[in-house]
Amino acid sequence: MTITKVLKKNKLMAIVALIYLAIFVFMPDKAAEAMGNSVYYLIEMVQVLPIIFLLTVVIEALVPKEMITRRLGAKSGFLGNILSLILGSISAGPIYAAFPISKMLLTKGASVSNVVIILSSWAVIKLPMLANEAKFLGVSFMGVRWVLTVIAILIMAWITEKLVSKKDMLITSTVVTDKQIVINHDYCIGCGICVKMLPEVYEMIDQKAHVKAGGIKSGDDAMILKTADKCPVNAIVAKEKGGAVA
Amino acid sequence: MDVFTLSFWGISLALTGVSLAKSKEKTFEAMKKSRGMMGNMLGEIIAIIFMIGLVLTFIPPESIKSVLGSENTFISSIIAAIAGSITLIPAFVAFPLVGSFVNVGASIIPAVAFLTTLTMVGIVTFPLEKKEFGFKFALVRNLLSFVAALVIAMAMGVIL
Repeated sequence: MTITKVLKKNKLMAIVALIYLAIFVFMPDKAAEAMGNSVYYLIEMVQVLPIIFLLTVVIEALVPKEMITRRLGAKSGFLGNILSLILGSISAGPIYAAFPISKMLLTKGASVSNVVIILSSWAVIKLPMLANEAKFLGVSFMGVRWVLTVIAILIMAWITEKLVSKKDMLITSTVVTDKQIVINHDYCIGCGICVKMLPEVYEMIDQKAHVKAGGIKSGDDAMILKTADKCPVNAIVAKEKGGAVA
Repeated sequence: MDVFTLSFWGISLALTGVSLAKSKEKTFEAMKKSRGMMGNMLGEIIAIIFMIGLVLTFIPPESIKSVLGSENTFISSIIAAIAGSITLIPAFVAFPLVGSFVNVGASIIPAVAFLTTLTMVGIVTFPLEKKEFGFKFALVRNLLSFVAALVIAMAMGVIL
Protein backbone atom coordinates (compact mmCIF):
# COMPACT_ATOMS: atom_id res chain seq x y z
CA MET A 1 0.00 0.00 0.00
CA THR A 2 1.20 3.47 -0.77
CA ILE A 3 1.29 6.21 1.86
CA THR A 4 -1.74 7.98 0.41
CA LYS A 5 -3.73 4.75 0.60
CA VAL A 6 -2.75 4.22 4.23
CA LEU A 7 -3.77 7.80 5.00
CA LYS A 8 -7.08 7.41 3.22
CA LYS A 9 -7.86 4.27 5.15
CA ASN A 10 -7.06 5.96 8.46
CA LYS A 11 -8.40 9.43 7.81
CA LEU A 12 -9.62 10.01 11.34
CA MET A 13 -6.35 8.80 12.84
CA ALA A 14 -4.39 11.15 10.56
CA ILE A 15 -6.55 14.12 11.52
CA VAL A 16 -6.19 13.44 15.25
CA ALA A 17 -2.43 12.96 14.89
CA LEU A 18 -2.19 16.30 13.10
CA ILE A 19 -4.15 18.09 15.83
CA TYR A 20 -1.86 16.59 18.48
CA LEU A 21 1.20 17.59 16.52
CA ALA A 22 -0.03 21.17 16.28
CA ILE A 23 -0.82 21.33 19.99
CA PHE A 24 2.53 19.80 20.90
CA VAL A 25 4.23 22.63 19.04
CA PHE A 26 2.11 25.49 20.37
CA MET A 27 0.83 24.26 23.77
CA PRO A 28 3.02 21.35 24.89
CA ASP A 29 1.48 21.19 28.39
CA LYS A 30 -2.06 20.89 26.96
CA ALA A 31 -0.96 18.08 24.65
CA ALA A 32 0.54 16.17 27.56
CA GLU A 33 -2.66 16.67 29.53
CA ALA A 34 -4.79 15.39 26.62
CA MET A 35 -2.55 12.31 26.35
CA GLY A 36 -2.98 11.72 30.05
CA ASN A 37 -6.75 12.06 29.78
CA SER A 38 -6.81 9.49 27.00
CA VAL A 39 -5.05 6.87 29.10
CA TYR A 40 -8.16 6.07 31.15
CA TYR A 41 -10.13 5.37 27.97
CA LEU A 42 -7.29 3.34 26.46
CA ILE A 43 -7.30 1.09 29.52
CA GLU A 44 -11.08 0.78 29.25
CA MET A 45 -10.72 -0.19 25.59
CA VAL A 46 -8.12 -2.86 26.34
CA GLN A 47 -10.43 -4.30 29.01
CA VAL A 48 -13.55 -4.31 26.86
CA LEU A 49 -12.60 -4.94 23.22
CA PRO A 50 -11.36 -8.53 23.70
CA ILE A 51 -14.76 -9.38 25.23
CA ILE A 52 -16.52 -7.79 22.27
CA PHE A 53 -14.31 -9.76 19.91
CA LEU A 54 -15.13 -13.04 21.67
CA LEU A 55 -18.84 -12.22 21.74
CA THR A 56 -18.99 -11.49 18.00
CA VAL A 57 -17.19 -14.79 17.40
CA VAL A 58 -19.68 -16.63 19.61
CA ILE A 59 -22.68 -15.02 17.93
CA GLU A 60 -21.30 -15.85 14.50
CA ALA A 61 -20.35 -19.44 15.34
CA LEU A 62 -23.06 -20.54 17.77
CA VAL A 63 -26.23 -18.60 17.01
CA PRO A 64 -27.97 -19.61 13.78
CA LYS A 65 -29.14 -16.81 11.53
CA GLU A 66 -32.74 -18.01 11.62
CA MET A 67 -32.79 -17.60 15.38
CA ILE A 68 -31.62 -13.99 15.27
CA THR A 69 -34.08 -13.23 12.48
CA ARG A 70 -36.89 -14.81 14.47
CA ARG A 71 -36.04 -13.20 17.81
CA LEU A 72 -34.71 -9.80 16.69
CA GLY A 73 -35.87 -9.49 13.09
CA ALA A 74 -38.58 -7.33 11.56
CA LYS A 75 -41.30 -9.75 12.65
CA SER A 76 -40.10 -10.21 16.22
CA GLY A 77 -42.49 -7.51 17.43
CA PHE A 78 -42.63 -6.15 20.95
CA LEU A 79 -40.91 -9.19 22.45
CA GLY A 80 -37.97 -8.56 20.13
CA ASN A 81 -37.82 -4.97 21.39
CA ILE A 82 -37.80 -6.12 25.01
CA LEU A 83 -35.10 -8.69 24.28
CA SER A 84 -32.98 -5.98 22.61
CA LEU A 85 -33.48 -3.73 25.61
CA ILE A 86 -32.26 -6.46 27.94
CA LEU A 87 -29.32 -7.32 25.68
CA GLY A 88 -28.21 -3.68 25.59
CA SER A 89 -28.70 -3.17 29.32
CA ILE A 90 -26.62 -6.10 30.50
CA SER A 91 -23.71 -5.05 28.33
CA ALA A 92 -20.31 -3.74 29.34
CA GLY A 93 -18.29 -0.90 27.90
CA PRO A 94 -18.82 2.35 26.04
CA ILE A 95 -21.08 2.84 23.02
CA TYR A 96 -18.38 2.14 20.43
CA ALA A 97 -18.14 -1.37 21.89
CA ALA A 98 -21.78 -1.83 20.85
CA PHE A 99 -20.97 -1.15 17.19
CA PRO A 100 -19.33 -4.50 16.29
CA ILE A 101 -22.01 -6.52 18.12
CA SER A 102 -24.88 -4.54 16.59
CA LYS A 103 -23.37 -4.80 13.13
CA MET A 104 -22.98 -8.55 13.52
CA LEU A 105 -26.62 -8.87 14.65
CA LEU A 106 -27.78 -6.62 11.81
CA THR A 107 -26.08 -8.70 9.14
CA LYS A 108 -27.53 -11.83 10.75
CA GLY A 109 -31.09 -10.57 10.52
CA ALA A 110 -31.86 -8.15 13.37
CA SER A 111 -34.21 -5.30 12.45
CA VAL A 112 -33.26 -1.61 12.29
CA SER A 113 -35.42 -0.74 15.29
CA ASN A 114 -33.85 -3.43 17.44
CA VAL A 115 -30.37 -2.23 16.52
CA VAL A 116 -31.39 1.26 17.69
CA ILE A 117 -32.65 -0.20 20.97
CA ILE A 118 -29.48 -2.20 21.55
CA LEU A 119 -27.20 0.77 20.78
CA SER A 120 -29.19 3.23 22.90
CA SER A 121 -29.73 1.02 25.92
CA TRP A 122 -26.08 -0.03 25.72
CA ALA A 123 -25.16 3.63 26.02
CA VAL A 124 -27.59 4.71 28.72
CA ILE A 125 -28.89 1.84 30.80
CA LYS A 126 -26.25 0.09 32.85
CA LEU A 127 -26.56 -1.26 36.35
CA PRO A 128 -23.33 0.22 37.74
CA MET A 129 -24.30 3.56 36.22
CA LEU A 130 -27.82 3.43 37.63
CA ALA A 131 -26.43 2.70 41.09
CA ASN A 132 -24.09 5.66 40.75
CA GLU A 133 -26.92 7.92 39.66
CA ALA A 134 -29.14 6.87 42.56
CA LYS A 135 -26.30 7.56 44.96
CA PHE A 136 -25.63 11.12 43.82
CA LEU A 137 -29.01 12.26 42.50
CA GLY A 138 -31.48 10.18 44.47
CA VAL A 139 -33.48 7.04 43.75
CA SER A 140 -36.58 8.84 42.43
CA PHE A 141 -34.45 10.93 40.03
CA MET A 142 -32.79 7.80 38.72
CA GLY A 143 -36.06 5.86 38.51
CA VAL A 144 -38.00 8.53 36.65
CA ARG A 145 -35.12 9.13 34.24
CA TRP A 146 -34.85 5.39 33.60
CA VAL A 147 -38.56 5.00 32.80
CA LEU A 148 -38.61 8.06 30.54
CA THR A 149 -35.44 6.93 28.78
CA VAL A 150 -36.83 3.46 28.06
CA ILE A 151 -40.00 5.00 26.59
CA ALA A 152 -37.91 7.42 24.53
CA ILE A 153 -35.71 4.61 23.21
CA LEU A 154 -38.74 2.58 22.08
CA ILE A 155 -40.22 5.62 20.28
CA MET A 156 -36.85 6.41 18.68
CA ALA A 157 -36.55 2.83 17.47
CA TRP A 158 -39.97 2.99 15.89
CA ILE A 159 -39.25 6.31 14.13
CA THR A 160 -35.83 5.15 12.90
CA GLU A 161 -37.37 1.98 11.47
CA LYS A 162 -39.74 4.17 9.46
CA LEU A 163 -37.01 6.55 8.24
CA VAL A 164 -34.04 4.27 7.60
CA SER A 165 -34.22 1.05 5.63
CA LYS A 166 -31.87 -1.84 6.13
CA LYS A 167 -30.67 -1.19 2.62
CA ASP A 168 -29.30 2.21 3.69
CA MET A 169 -27.33 0.57 6.46
CA LEU A 170 -25.77 -2.37 4.68
CA ILE A 171 -24.72 -0.59 1.51
CA THR A 172 -21.53 0.53 3.22
CA SER A 173 -19.61 -2.61 2.48
CA THR A 174 -16.87 -3.98 4.64
CA VAL A 175 -13.37 -3.49 3.37
CA VAL A 176 -10.74 -5.98 4.36
CA THR A 177 -8.41 -6.00 1.41
CA ASP A 178 -7.78 -3.24 -1.10
CA LYS A 179 -10.96 -4.33 -2.82
CA GLN A 180 -14.32 -2.92 -1.97
CA ILE A 181 -17.62 -4.27 -3.20
CA VAL A 182 -20.58 -2.02 -3.77
CA ILE A 183 -23.89 -3.61 -4.61
CA ASN A 184 -26.47 -1.40 -6.23
CA HIS A 185 -29.72 -2.57 -4.71
CA ASP A 186 -31.80 -0.65 -7.22
CA TYR A 187 -30.48 -3.05 -9.87
CA CYS A 188 -30.15 -6.27 -7.86
CA ILE A 189 -32.91 -8.72 -8.77
CA GLY A 190 -31.99 -11.22 -6.06
CA CYS A 191 -31.09 -14.00 -8.49
CA GLY A 192 -28.56 -15.45 -6.04
CA ILE A 193 -25.81 -16.23 -8.56
CA CYS A 194 -23.21 -14.31 -6.54
CA VAL A 195 -24.21 -16.15 -3.35
CA LYS A 196 -23.84 -19.47 -5.15
CA MET A 197 -20.43 -18.51 -6.53
CA LEU A 198 -19.02 -17.01 -3.33
CA PRO A 199 -21.12 -17.86 -0.28
CA GLU A 200 -18.29 -16.64 2.00
CA VAL A 201 -18.64 -13.11 0.64
CA TYR A 202 -22.27 -12.66 -0.38
CA GLU A 203 -25.56 -13.34 1.32
CA MET A 204 -29.22 -12.68 0.63
CA ILE A 205 -31.15 -10.32 2.88
CA ASP A 206 -34.70 -9.41 1.92
CA GLN A 207 -34.12 -10.78 -1.59
CA LYS A 208 -31.14 -8.50 -2.22
CA ALA A 209 -27.50 -9.50 -2.30
CA HIS A 210 -25.35 -8.09 0.53
CA VAL A 211 -21.69 -8.29 1.39
CA LYS A 212 -21.14 -10.19 4.62
CA ALA A 213 -19.44 -8.40 7.48
CA GLY A 214 -15.74 -9.15 7.25
CA GLY A 215 -16.44 -11.44 4.33
CA ILE A 216 -13.89 -10.17 1.87
CA LYS A 217 -10.52 -11.88 2.16
CA SER A 218 -7.37 -11.19 0.25
CA GLY A 219 -7.54 -14.41 -1.74
CA ASP A 220 -11.00 -13.69 -3.07
CA ASP A 221 -10.08 -10.85 -5.42
CA ALA A 222 -10.19 -12.83 -8.65
CA MET A 223 -13.42 -14.58 -7.70
CA ILE A 224 -15.06 -11.28 -6.71
CA LEU A 225 -14.29 -9.85 -10.14
CA LYS A 226 -15.88 -12.96 -11.65
CA THR A 227 -19.07 -12.49 -9.64
CA ALA A 228 -19.23 -8.86 -10.75
CA ASP A 229 -18.87 -10.13 -14.29
CA LYS A 230 -21.52 -12.84 -13.93
CA CYS A 231 -24.13 -10.60 -12.28
CA PRO A 232 -26.91 -10.45 -14.90
CA VAL A 233 -27.84 -6.84 -14.10
CA ASN A 234 -24.33 -5.54 -13.29
CA ALA A 235 -25.36 -4.57 -9.79
CA ILE A 236 -22.01 -5.66 -8.31
CA VAL A 237 -19.17 -3.22 -8.64
CA ALA A 238 -15.70 -4.15 -7.37
CA LYS A 239 -13.55 -1.12 -6.70
CA GLU A 240 -10.05 -0.47 -5.55
CA LYS A 241 -10.43 1.10 -2.12
CA GLY A 242 -10.67 4.82 -2.79
CA GLY A 243 -9.70 4.27 -6.42
CA ALA A 244 -11.29 3.71 -9.79
CA VAL A 245 -13.67 0.90 -10.67
CA ALA A 246 -11.70 -2.25 -11.38
CA MET B 1 -11.62 -3.76 36.40
CA ASP B 2 -15.07 -3.65 38.01
CA VAL B 3 -17.16 -6.70 38.82
CA PHE B 4 -19.33 -6.26 35.77
CA THR B 5 -16.48 -6.21 33.28
CA LEU B 6 -14.90 -9.18 35.05
CA SER B 7 -18.06 -11.25 34.89
CA PHE B 8 -18.33 -10.42 31.20
CA TRP B 9 -14.83 -11.74 30.70
CA GLY B 10 -15.93 -14.93 32.43
CA ILE B 11 -19.10 -15.30 30.39
CA SER B 12 -17.52 -14.62 27.02
CA LEU B 13 -14.56 -16.91 27.71
CA ALA B 14 -16.94 -19.69 28.75
CA LEU B 15 -19.08 -19.19 25.64
CA THR B 16 -16.00 -19.25 23.44
CA GLY B 17 -15.07 -22.53 25.12
CA VAL B 18 -18.49 -23.95 24.28
CA SER B 19 -18.14 -22.76 20.71
CA LEU B 20 -14.68 -24.35 20.39
CA ALA B 21 -15.96 -27.62 21.81
CA LYS B 22 -18.88 -27.62 19.40
CA SER B 23 -16.94 -26.87 16.26
CA LYS B 24 -13.33 -25.78 16.15
CA GLU B 25 -13.52 -25.10 12.46
CA LYS B 26 -16.58 -22.87 12.68
CA THR B 27 -15.12 -20.94 15.60
CA PHE B 28 -11.85 -20.23 13.83
CA GLU B 29 -13.76 -19.23 10.73
CA ALA B 30 -15.81 -16.82 12.85
CA MET B 31 -12.64 -15.49 14.46
CA LYS B 32 -11.20 -14.68 11.07
CA LYS B 33 -14.36 -12.80 10.19
CA SER B 34 -14.53 -10.86 13.44
CA ARG B 35 -10.85 -10.03 13.20
CA GLY B 36 -11.50 -8.48 9.80
CA MET B 37 -14.46 -6.49 11.07
CA MET B 38 -12.88 -5.30 14.30
CA GLY B 39 -9.51 -4.68 12.68
CA ASN B 40 -11.28 -2.18 10.49
CA MET B 41 -12.69 -0.38 13.51
CA LEU B 42 -9.65 -0.50 15.76
CA GLY B 43 -7.79 2.39 14.14
CA GLU B 44 -10.87 4.58 14.40
CA ILE B 45 -11.53 3.62 17.99
CA ILE B 46 -7.98 4.57 19.00
CA ALA B 47 -8.36 7.85 17.12
CA ILE B 48 -11.66 8.47 18.93
CA ILE B 49 -10.03 7.82 22.30
CA PHE B 50 -7.31 10.39 21.70
CA MET B 51 -9.99 12.76 20.49
CA ILE B 52 -11.83 12.30 23.81
CA GLY B 53 -8.59 13.20 25.60
CA LEU B 54 -8.42 16.43 23.60
CA VAL B 55 -12.03 17.35 24.28
CA LEU B 56 -11.60 16.70 28.01
CA THR B 57 -8.55 18.95 28.07
CA PHE B 58 -10.14 21.90 26.31
CA ILE B 59 -13.64 21.48 27.76
CA PRO B 60 -12.92 20.27 31.31
CA PRO B 61 -15.83 18.67 33.22
CA GLU B 62 -15.95 21.62 35.64
CA SER B 63 -16.83 24.00 32.82
CA ILE B 64 -20.23 22.32 32.59
CA LYS B 65 -21.16 24.00 35.86
CA SER B 66 -21.26 27.42 34.26
CA VAL B 67 -23.61 26.03 31.61
CA LEU B 68 -25.97 24.39 34.08
CA GLY B 69 -26.19 27.47 36.26
CA SER B 70 -27.36 30.10 33.79
CA GLU B 71 -30.56 32.07 34.36
CA ASN B 72 -32.69 31.04 31.38
CA THR B 73 -33.61 27.37 31.79
CA PHE B 74 -34.61 26.88 28.16
CA ILE B 75 -31.37 28.18 26.70
CA SER B 76 -29.20 26.55 29.33
CA SER B 77 -30.94 23.20 28.62
CA ILE B 78 -30.11 23.42 24.94
CA ILE B 79 -26.51 24.42 25.65
CA ALA B 80 -26.22 21.63 28.23
CA ALA B 81 -27.54 19.12 25.67
CA ILE B 82 -24.97 20.32 23.13
CA ALA B 83 -22.20 20.13 25.73
CA GLY B 84 -23.26 16.57 26.55
CA SER B 85 -23.15 15.64 22.87
CA ILE B 86 -19.60 16.87 22.43
CA THR B 87 -17.98 15.70 25.63
CA LEU B 88 -17.58 12.16 26.85
CA ILE B 89 -17.12 12.47 30.59
CA PRO B 90 -17.01 9.15 32.45
CA ALA B 91 -20.26 8.51 34.33
CA PHE B 92 -18.56 8.30 37.73
CA VAL B 93 -17.32 11.87 37.22
CA ALA B 94 -20.52 13.21 35.67
CA PHE B 95 -22.99 12.05 38.35
CA PRO B 96 -21.23 13.56 41.38
CA LEU B 97 -20.60 16.75 39.40
CA VAL B 98 -24.23 17.16 38.35
CA GLY B 99 -25.40 15.90 41.74
CA SER B 100 -23.47 18.55 43.64
CA PHE B 101 -25.08 21.12 41.44
CA VAL B 102 -28.66 19.93 41.66
CA ASN B 103 -28.35 19.52 45.42
CA VAL B 104 -27.62 23.21 45.91
CA GLY B 105 -30.86 24.05 44.15
CA ALA B 106 -30.11 24.39 40.45
CA SER B 107 -32.82 23.42 37.95
CA ILE B 108 -32.76 19.74 37.05
CA ILE B 109 -33.88 20.29 33.45
CA PRO B 110 -30.48 21.27 32.01
CA ALA B 111 -28.87 18.67 34.28
CA VAL B 112 -30.98 15.84 32.82
CA ALA B 113 -30.49 17.12 29.26
CA PHE B 114 -26.74 17.02 29.85
CA LEU B 115 -26.67 13.56 31.44
CA THR B 116 -28.80 12.06 28.67
CA THR B 117 -26.93 13.44 25.65
CA LEU B 118 -23.65 12.60 27.39
CA THR B 119 -24.22 8.91 26.76
CA MET B 120 -26.73 8.76 23.91
CA VAL B 121 -25.40 11.36 21.46
CA GLY B 122 -21.83 11.04 20.28
CA ILE B 123 -20.32 13.62 17.99
CA VAL B 124 -16.87 12.13 18.55
CA THR B 125 -18.03 8.60 17.72
CA PHE B 126 -20.10 9.79 14.75
CA PRO B 127 -17.46 9.00 12.07
CA LEU B 128 -17.29 5.38 13.22
CA GLU B 129 -21.07 5.04 13.50
CA LYS B 130 -21.43 6.49 10.02
CA LYS B 131 -18.89 4.09 8.59
CA GLU B 132 -20.47 1.02 10.16
CA PHE B 133 -24.18 1.79 9.78
CA GLY B 134 -24.36 4.39 7.03
CA PHE B 135 -24.74 8.17 7.19
CA LYS B 136 -28.51 8.20 7.32
CA PHE B 137 -28.79 5.86 10.29
CA ALA B 138 -26.09 7.66 12.29
CA LEU B 139 -27.68 11.04 11.62
CA VAL B 140 -31.23 9.94 12.43
CA ARG B 141 -30.20 8.13 15.60
CA ASN B 142 -28.13 10.99 16.98
CA LEU B 143 -30.68 13.68 16.10
CA LEU B 144 -33.54 11.68 17.62
CA SER B 145 -31.47 11.07 20.76
CA PHE B 146 -30.77 14.79 21.06
CA VAL B 147 -34.46 15.67 20.82
CA ALA B 148 -35.35 12.81 23.18
CA ALA B 149 -32.87 14.15 25.75
CA LEU B 150 -34.61 17.54 25.74
CA VAL B 151 -38.06 15.96 26.00
CA ILE B 152 -36.95 13.67 28.84
CA ALA B 153 -35.45 16.68 30.62
CA MET B 154 -38.64 18.71 30.35
CA ALA B 155 -40.79 15.78 31.45
CA MET B 156 -38.52 15.31 34.48
CA GLY B 157 -38.92 18.99 35.29
CA VAL B 158 -42.69 18.53 35.32
CA ILE B 159 -42.73 15.25 37.26
CA LEU B 160 -40.14 15.95 39.96
